[in-house]
Amino acid sequence: MTAPGEQEPESAQLVRPYVITNGRGLPENDQFNLITLVTASEQRPPSHLDPEKRRLLELCSGGYLSVAEIAGHMGLPIGIVKVLLSDLSSDGYLVTRAPAPPAQLVDVSLLQEVLDGLQARFG
Amino acid sequence: MTQYLQDPALWALIAGTPLAATAIVRGRKARANLRQEKAELEKRAADLENNYAEAVQEAHNRAEEATKSALKSAMRTLQGLANEQQLAISKTQEKYGEHQLLQDLLEIDHMNSQFGRRAQSIAVLCDGWLGRQRAVASVYDVVRSAKGRIRHYTRVEIRSQSNFALVSRAVEPVALALAELLDNATSYSAPDSPIDITIRTVPKGVCVIIDDAGVGMNEEEKNRADKLLSATHATGVTGLGNPPQFGFAVIGVLAARYGFTVSVDSASPYGGVRAVVLLPEDLLTNMPEPVEQPTTHAPAAAEQPQPSGSTMTSSTVSGSTAGGLPKRRRKGSISIVPRADSTTAPARTSEETASIMGAFQRGTQSGRSAANPNREGHDPQ
Repeated sequence: MTAPGEQEPESAQLVRPYVITNGRGLPENDQFNLITLVTASEQRPPSHLDPEKRRLLELCSGGYLSVAEIAGHMGLPIGIVKVLLSDLSSDGYLVTRAPAPPAQLVDVSLLQEVLDGLQARFG
Repeated sequence: MTQYLQDPALWALIAGTPLAATAIVRGRKARANLRQEKAELEKRAADLENNYAEAVQEAHNRAEEATKSALKSAMRTLQGLANEQQLAISKTQEKYGEHQLLQDLLEIDHMNSQFGRRAQSIAVLCDGWLGRQRAVASVYDVVRSAKGRIRHYTRVEIRSQSNFALVSRAVEPVALALAELLDNATSYSAPDSPIDITIRTVPKGVCVIIDDAGVGMNEEEKNRADKLLSATHATGVTGLGNPPQFGFAVIGVLAARYGFTVSVDSASPYGGVRAVVLLPEDLLTNMPEPVEQPTTHAPAAAEQPQPSGSTMTSSTVSGSTAGGLPKRRRKGSISIVPRADSTTAPARTSEETASIMGAFQRGTQSGRSAANPNREGHDPQ
């Protein structure tokens, strides 16, 4: 039916992303952002898990991985990955860790006061 | 006697007899002629009728061909556009993966898939282009792909997975046939009733079983379905009825062409139709290896003996990063000159070593003592 040479050079994924999430919307709660770190939990996943979920667990079984990295490796939109992650974490197969908070910079005026104090005493 | 001779009636009789005889003979001849003519006419009428039927059939065929080729080229364009659009949607989904817009993109993607499938189905009936050649895919993925091509896909539940995969040439036709079956199943059952799919391995291959909770089919519908599904020749575009029913005709063509069987003659446990697609062994293959496989057993591979005499240690995958990317060991120096430590130096005994060291020592001492007078000579004292 398909004549040779008539094939498209590029083809999209066989399983479309909306099928992977079964048409569910993006998760409302902001549990996951790009730099949330996740790793597989001790709990053994069941064998009938979807291939994407299994792959995701395999990916982060070695240690903590950020959401952005997972999406990159899986070749899926981040929103879709978030749906999968929220499923897996509510079933207890994943552990999440909030990203390390950025260092709080101390107020410059405080530093200036400390410096002034030191200079007054020892200077 | 004379009295008779004088009777004009006798003369009339005498004169009339040959006339009558002639008339009778002529009549007979005329009748024979007529009969012959009639037979000829009948023959000609039959010929005409035959010719007419042939002409009609020919005209029908020609019309069918013309319709097919027109539809085929039209569908080719639409299919191309649907594919292009799908790729564009994929890229946009990647781009706005985090955005709320993704939700809308997914819906557009779904509509585009349905649109592509419709065009594909018509193309199949017109002996047209089926679509892209796909890579080997698991039966589960093919079923999921089929699921994504119908409107009410969320009602479809896939109850089991399979360890088998479909060969690349069968991926698209099977997905399309399953999509048509699922479309029928969702169309002829209550709007929120589920459609169950079970994948089962049987001695002859793999069965995909689709159960709906609809009203089932009556005898007439079943007969029509059976006829279309087991059709040895394509029904064509003109035999689809009005409104045209594509489903079974498309499935029949695909099944005949790619060698799988579809039956819809049993009832589902929910009272609806049970459709069974039997994928024979020659369409099946083993599951493809994942492209980016996190290797956990790689250290064993690293321990494999290197080919002796090679000065290069080829990079070996050992373990994987947390991200699943294969970790590679640092490559050995890629030099053509053998590495110093790799050349097996001849082992020396301790006596030999001692004598060499002794010779070295003596040499330097004699050298120093021989050099000293010169140095003293250069001394500025």
